[in-house]
Amino acid sequence: MYSYIARRLGFGALTVVAVSIMVFVVMRILPGDPLVAIFGPEGFTKLSDKDRASYMAELGLSDPLWVQYLTWVKDILRGDFGRSFFRSESVADMILRRGPLTAEIALISVVLSWVVGIPVAIVSALRPNSIADSLARFVSILFLAVPGFWMGMLIVLALLFWFGYRAPMAGASLFADPVANLQLVIGPAIVLGLGQAAYIARMGRSSLLEVVREDYVRTARAKGLNKRLVIGLHALPNALLPVITLSGVLLGLVLAGSVPVERAFGTPGLGFAMFTAVSERDVFVMQNLVFLYAVVFVALNIVVDLTIALLDPRIRYR
Amino acid sequence: MTATFPDQPVLPATPSRTRSIVRTVGRGLGRFFRRAPLSAFWGCVAAAIIAMAIAAPVLAPYEPLKSDFRSMQKPPDEKHWFGTDQIGRDVLSRVIHGSRASLTVALGAVIFGTTVGALWGLACGYFGGRFDMLSQRLIEFLQSFPDLILAMAIAMALGGGMVTVIVAIAITRIPFGGRVIRSVVLSLKEMQYVEAARGLGASHRRLMFRHILPQCVAPYLVLATTHLGVAIVIEASLGFLGVGIPPPTPTWGNMLADSLNAGLVPPWWLVLFPGAAITITVLAFNLLGDGIRDMLDPRLRGSV
Repeated sequence: MYSYIARRLGFGALTVVAVSIMVFVVMRILPGDPLVAIFGPEGFTKLSDKDRASYMAELGLSDPLWVQYLTWVKDILRGDFGRSFFRSESVADMILRRGPLTAEIALISVVLSWVVGIPVAIVSALRPNSIADSLARFVSILFLAVPGFWMGMLIVLALLFWFGYRAPMAGASLFADPVANLQLVIGPAIVLGLGQAAYIARMGRSSLLEVVREDYVRTARAKGLNKRLVIGLHALPNALLPVITLSGVLLGLVLAGSVPVERAFGTPGLGFAMFTAVSERDVFVMQNLVFLYAVVFVALNIVVDLTIALLDPRIRYR
Repeated sequence: MTATFPDQPVLPATPSRTRSIVRTVGRGLGRFFRRAPLSAFWGCVAAAIIAMAIAAPVLAPYEPLKSDFRSMQKPPDEKHWFGTDQIGRDVLSRVIHGSRASLTVALGAVIFGTTVGALWGLACGYFGGRFDMLSQRLIEFLQSFPDLILAMAIAMALGGGMVTVIVAIAITRIPFGGRVIRSVVLSLKEMQYVEAARGLGASHRRLMFRHILPQCVAPYLVLATTHLGVAIVIEASLGFLGVGIPPPTPTWGNMLADSLNAGLVPPWWLVLFPGAAITITVLAFNLLGDGIRDMLDPRLRGSV
């Protein structure tokens, strides 16, 4: 087990390094000039050569690329994520202020996806091809197709239309003002949670149907155990393993989905900050946020892999 | 000493051969309709959407870019079925024209992403060894990014435009194509008929393209149809976030982004119709993909 953990962590560290290089390559070396990204194609042509050179020097962009890369890595290791061109707040402060909201949204949505997805999967798998199963499958296929941010916009519209309700616009922390905080978080969390629940219900159903065919389940039934007990106590734990893995993969969906969904709800979280950075073409903020999202995704997937290894001896002893 | 068999000359498309192909395809379609009527229905919807995109200029009642300042932000009525936006453009015409951008991007992303990934996976699975190991690490690194985030970063770095969006989405599709096809090839490689062909001295190229590749078509088709749906959602999200195809080109994502600029409360018809178009299109491709998978590989039925 320890060697497995060590290997997984080592590979995780390697991944983070590779990810930092990839982010750097995408944001700095790809054909797009950072100044074009900042000023826009039109603004760029209006700059004189001297202006361009001075901006480049000021931003540290005239150093050789590997120097720029090392400077960036050094800054990150010191906890300095730079600052935006357009705002006085440093990116590190912004992450600390907005990050918790997005983390809350992600957490609630994952919990919600299990609370909704697993019971649906069980109902489907208990009676495959029944009316309930068909209905569950249809709804989950529908939810796979609905873009989360559109569902968010519809929810905002419907609440306004019928109840004249609008979530508060300002950020509110969980501890200082739990009610306002909940109002901010619940909408995006429901949208993202239902999106994941659809995948979980589908995966859970097929995984359960597979496990139910195994010999040990038939033995348990032959002993005369109640069908519900067999499914709940014998089949479900094994059927959940692939669902846990899927849930880890779906975290990518949550992290990525938080950007348009927070935009749709106007939630002042990290996803909205990324939207702002993109629309203001704020290359450096974007670079750091993309890196942060990727690192969080990698770290969470390591946690998921270790959880699976803990639960499933077959992986531990491989 | 390797005795390579010359590749079979490609048969000219004689009338009888063409007719037999038509008959085979027709029979396959017939079977599809009988076995999976629901998927076949959604396949027809997908075909109708593609037809709508091709015939957009004929079908659209108005010019998608032309403003009518006498009817601005009007709810749906008999003149403008889907209403008009804040500068008096007909929403129905824009939704119809929006299908062009969506489908072009989706198709481009699948051709350059899923296909490149699949060919890469074919090479990885076939050759194995160090090349495969390196490729797998690279693919894992690519997969450490949530796909929309990666697409956003690339689209932003390259600056807006149709080609940029296609490239950005295509890159996020490569790992999936690579993984799926690689695992298929790994199992095919051990099959006896491949071994037999190798024993007869077939070249690598011949083994890969004549013996293994045809068996990859089914999983590829399933993957490609699913990816069409995913690409459409990513394209719409990029447009919604303002890094997609730049306005005024009508795309569904741009229209949804525009609706948020229409005042504090976006009018419902500006939100409802473009989003419904995305949902129906994605649903059609997903269910078509499900149907193709069930028909080509019954073992996978019901799995994700």
